Amino acid sequence: MDYSLKKYYKQSATYKIFSGIFTYSAAIISTLGDISLNAVEVAKCILKGQIDRRELIEQCNRFGISSLPITLSIVGMTSVIVASQVALEMVKQGGGNFVGLLMTMLIVREVGVIMSGFAIISMIGSSLASEIATMRVTEQIDAIKVLKVNPIRYLFVPRVLSGLIMMPPVVAIAAAVGVIAGAITANLTSGLGYLAFFDSAWLGIYMKDLSVCMLKAATFGAVIALISCSCGYAAHGGAKGVGEATTKAVVWSFVAIVILDMFFAMVFFF
Amino acid sequence: MSIEVKNLVKTFGDKRVIDGVSFKVNNGETLAIVGFSGSGKSTILKLICGLTTPDSGEIITSEGDIAMVFQYSALFDSLNVADNIAFALHERKELRKKYTEKEIKNIVAEKLELVGLKGIENKFPSELSGGMQKRVSFARAIVTEPKTILYDEPTAGLDPISSTLIEDYIVRLKDETHAASVVVTHQMSTITRTANRVIMLYNGKVVFEGTPEEMLRQDNEYTKQFCMASLEGPMRMIAEN
Repeated sequence: MDYSLKKYYKQSATYKIFSGIFTYSAAIISTLGDISLNAVEVAKCILKGQIDRRELIEQCNRFGISSLPITLSIVGMTSVIVASQVALEMVKQGGGNFVGLLMTMLIVREVGVIMSGFAIISMIGSSLASEIATMRVTEQIDAIKVLKVNPIRYLFVPRVLSGLIMMPPVVAIAAAVGVIAGAITANLTSGLGYLAFFDSAWLGIYMKDLSVCMLKAATFGAVIALISCSCGYAAHGGAKGVGEATTKAVVWSFVAIVILDMFFAMVFFF
Repeated sequence: MSIEVKNLVKTFGDKRVIDGVSFKVNNGETLAIVGFSGSGKSTILKLICGLTTPDSGEIITSEGDIAMVFQYSALFDSLNVADNIAFALHERKELRKKYTEKEIKNIVAEKLELVGLKGIENKFPSELSGGMQKRVSFARAIVTEPKTILYDEPTAGLDPISSTLIEDYIVRLKDETHAASVVVTHQMSTITRTANRVIMLYNGKVVFEGTPEEMLRQDNEYTKQFCMASLEGPMRMIAEN
């Protein structure tokens, strides 16, 4: 192919489309590779007991306590929205006895954990990614390496562990708030009694639902922290790089927890 | 011999940033590396301290820690001055076992006194001026008693008096630690006041090696252009190449 033909070929729409797809796919594979390698390194450190307790407590406080108000608000409000849509209609159709069951099942199985995940991503995940990305672009991570400290052990391990430990209690509290908010909304919109709501609520909840909910919460917490840290760690450039890393962390975390949620649904409820 | 660099090559993309650079630095000696921005000076420091790996060539350093003072200090924002300085002592298993908390506190106070910043242990980096941050990063760098100290533009962006202070600390640290030091700088005062020898890089190659006095004599066309800050000479800015 002579030079002019090559130049013409490179300007063609087909070339641009395929080249764009290739570049995008390569970036996705590279990010997945980075996340996997970091996950392996984090697991190694945890298995070796290389855990900075002081940092872990600080991160648990950040992951659990700081995120609680926004998580409770989002799950509570989602519950209010759902209850206000379904309670009156179900009571009208003669299904008032099942409003509690429906609401509780929905909150414990899906809404509580997935909405908490979204709240944690937007509040904690973005902050983890921007913090680590800033450390990267200001050479603080280079300084950690020069001081012969493993940055994965120092930065990732306490954050991933805090996600794993703190997300289940956050989701449990959020789900409880969601169910109560649902009961109050159902009462206000349809006049459904609290006793009727909670009587039917118990019918739809099994130990398996609670266990899967906690397992999902722990997995989501660890995955959000791992993805956020990995995206921040791979940042480059200046302020723009920090912004890109934060956006990437949020997008990847959202996609990851939806995929994981689908996986959990297929494995445990199909 | 503390640092020996042999025929180092490093390429980024299509550009060969370091092209066959060799030099030696003895214990208790300071080598200044000068040259245009983008001539590979900082890359050499990153290669020596292992932050990046060379494509080919060899770097031999004495046993013991290598410390680096970063251009923008690179202090940990979330930690106070004391925790910044004691970072390696807290986080490295072998050092954590070696020192008690009280000893670590004493070491931090001693290093802060050495850089003339006694009593600022509880301040955070954001509360310090640029010069003070640089001095804290000196204290952090020497806390593990390194055998090699690397300085990446230690006086860049500082006023002349702060620069003189930093230059004095570089000399003082060299005398007290007998470490081999490499200083990357553009500043003539830093070269003349701290360095025993100077190498100049251009296009990834060493174009001058000698003492600061020989550099100032301007026998070499490259050093002449550099010292005169002239646009006329063998060196062209990268954009012009």
